[in-house]
Amino acid sequence: MALPNECKQTKDLSRKEILLSVVRSPATGRIYAGASDGKIHSVDPAAEKPEFTEWEGHGSYVTGVALAGPSLVSGGYDGRLVWRDAASGTISRSLEAHARWIRKVVASADGRWIASVADDMVCRVWDAADGKLLHELRGHAERTPQHFPSMLYACAFSPDGTRLATVDRVGHAVVWDAATGKSLATFEVPGMYTWDPKQRIHAIGGPRSLAFSPDGQSLAVGGMGQVGNIDHLEGKTRVEIFRWEKGERSHEFVGDQFKGLVERLIYHSSGEWLLAFGGDSGGSVQVMDLAGNRIHKQEKASTHLHDAVYDESTGTAVIAAHNRLLVWNIA
Amino acid sequence: MTTEHPSVPVEASAARPSRRGFLGSSAAVGAGAFAAKTLAFSAAPMTLLDAFRQPLLADELKRHDKRVILLWLAGGASQLETFDPKPGRPTGGPFRAIQTRVPGVSISELMPKMAQRLHHTAVVRGLSTGNADHGGGARLMHLGRREEPTVKFPDLGAILARELGRPESQVPDYVTFYTATEGRGNAVGQAGFLGSRYSPMYLTTDTAPPNLRRLASITENDHRERGDLRRELSDRFSTGRQSSSLASHSEAFARVGGLMASDKLFDASQEPQAIRDMYGPTLFGEQTLVARRLIEAGVPFVKISRAWWDSHGQNFETHLELVSELDHVMSGLLDDLEQRGLLDHTLVVTLSEFGRTPQINASLGRDHFANAWSATLSGCGIRRGSVYGVTDENGLNVVEGKVDAGQFFATIFQALGIDHEKSYQVGARPIPLTNPGTKPIREVLA
Repeated sequence: MALPNECKQTKDLSRKEILLSVVRSPATGRIYAGASDGKIHSVDPAAEKPEFTEWEGHGSYVTGVALAGPSLVSGGYDGRLVWRDAASGTISRSLEAHARWIRKVVASADGRWIASVADDMVCRVWDAADGKLLHELRGHAERTPQHFPSMLYACAFSPDGTRLATVDRVGHAVVWDAATGKSLATFEVPGMYTWDPKQRIHAIGGPRSLAFSPDGQSLAVGGMGQVGNIDHLEGKTRVEIFRWEKGERSHEFVGDQFKGLVERLIYHSSGEWLLAFGGDSGGSVQVMDLAGNRIHKQEKASTHLHDAVYDESTGTAVIAAHNRLLVWNIA
Repeated sequence: MTTEHPSVPVEASAARPSRRGFLGSSAAVGAGAFAAKTLAFSAAPMTLLDAFRQPLLADELKRHDKRVILLWLAGGASQLETFDPKPGRPTGGPFRAIQTRVPGVSISELMPKMAQRLHHTAVVRGLSTGNADHGGGARLMHLGRREEPTVKFPDLGAILARELGRPESQVPDYVTFYTATEGRGNAVGQAGFLGSRYSPMYLTTDTAPPNLRRLASITENDHRERGDLRRELSDRFSTGRQSSSLASHSEAFARVGGLMASDKLFDASQEPQAIRDMYGPTLFGEQTLVARRLIEAGVPFVKISRAWWDSHGQNFETHLELVSELDHVMSGLLDDLEQRGLLDHTLVVTLSEFGRTPQINASLGRDHFANAWSATLSGCGIRRGSVYGVTDENGLNVVEGKVDAGQFFATIFQALGIDHEKSYQVGARPIPLTNPGTKPIREVLA
């Protein structure tokens, strides 16, 4: 698959809320976005006049959504996981899944498992069909080295569903056997967490996104480089790729045009390129050329991008953003 | 009117006793010789117990037992993530509100420990101070009024050092910690027209003043003998001479000597681990523990600056860190003061230069906001468990109980038994502690 030549916004759907997470139904093309009002905002962005449907279910920001068969599973800062029928929105299950904020919810490709990570620093693996807890994965410290609460930001399944990766605020990454819950490898990604011991005496950043390569051998980690003034998201966008079994870094992409967090990473199924979405107060979309080890394209978005899905068949990315749902053509 | 050194402003009220004369005799209160000393103020000899029967003097004595710890949240802490949450509103952010021990009063879920201790505290939710610039806002909230080009006003710490301190004290009257470098210049520490006697001891690194210990090259004996020689020469020189600068010189040496002798006050490791755990392992926690040690030893005013709260990006992550720390440190401080019987005599203030915008920006940050924000007063002189001021449902405006900087300062003074309308005479101009017409918030005073 050739590198994309086109990378531009095609649609901008305004919302009052902050859209924080997004998933797309491959069957219907319908989009489900988790929002700051505790609701799921559902829409067909391809419609001539897209109309949103809103479903309640959470008491705070909805930061993770995943599709597993007919079920839509969402997680939020209220610590709850909510199962509902993706077609009707009817809630079938609502669990107190974590003691603190849920940061991300993902499903294995076959739809059997759901994984959630939260600031209780535990990754929990759930049976997607009946909501049964299968594994509690504990391998992240509750406190940073400076004695502040840590945060468990991201998780991702490998494409074949056998591996599950997690990464926390200070950049400690763990790869787990998804079936047994055993830790297989750990490595550190320290360059995305800025602790300022002198000027402001607190921290910013931390890795925010993870993605396995199509062959499952590499793990991409996205975030923001070191920050001078931690009042703002002013570090350069940063993506590092590791051969996770050896903990060796194979790629490093430092944004030369944009600052801010890389919130979402998506590999192309060919393994030749990688999409990165994020930003500071503005947004950025970047295409990483993995063979050439360079940033192939980097485009500005109108606002911060929190999450994205990409449909290879149409070259369409749908992006959850600050007060907007954006559609981009990347082909 | 008293006739102190012309450069030192004096209290304009002629009806009051001379503070210096009064304190000269009342020093024994702190030293423990409570009942035997006589007071020099009255024409007739009078015991301290007699003094308590005279309302004016009793007030003066009680005032001098009072202390203040200011937790200065530099950079602007968010009222929405601390003491005025708006859960479920578009401006509310992701944190929930939790019920406190005060019926009907909720604060952010980031402060579960303070929620159980809010019965010690008055929350002022209606601050509306009009200056959303770091420098200007910080100066306003340190001076309690807008600056004037012709007068250099003292800051809160300097005023309280003068009002609550003792001239003969061998510990400093005003200690301020500001370790972070950001915003340090905004956090005013100035004695202004009160004179340098009331300037702060400014600590910018760690918890202890540098160069406090005796040089290793000088033995304890040499050090003592040098002091004795200096004192003997000084006494000989001053015999038959009347000079305020001579007295000041000797006082300065005495204070340095006192400081050197009290270097352990600045050492948090002197405390049992259980006490240290109450404050936590962070620098802010350790400095606050040292502040408690200092006020226990007689320092009337200590400011601990915790910088930097300026969360234009990632407001919620920043507040998750900093409010969690504040909750632990502040609740530990209140517990410690209460357990030592000091809370009734110690006013704990949390204050910033402003709050943060209810609107959440695209970096999930909040910006500067001086229109409707919060501060707290705990302990001494406070109607505990009270809340003053109401903001609208989105936190954009104060709809009831608006408070400006002067009113907040007047409330502090009144809580400490200091008349906020009292004036200092600066040249020909009487300058009141707060601007004329300023009223304290009676609703939060005990």
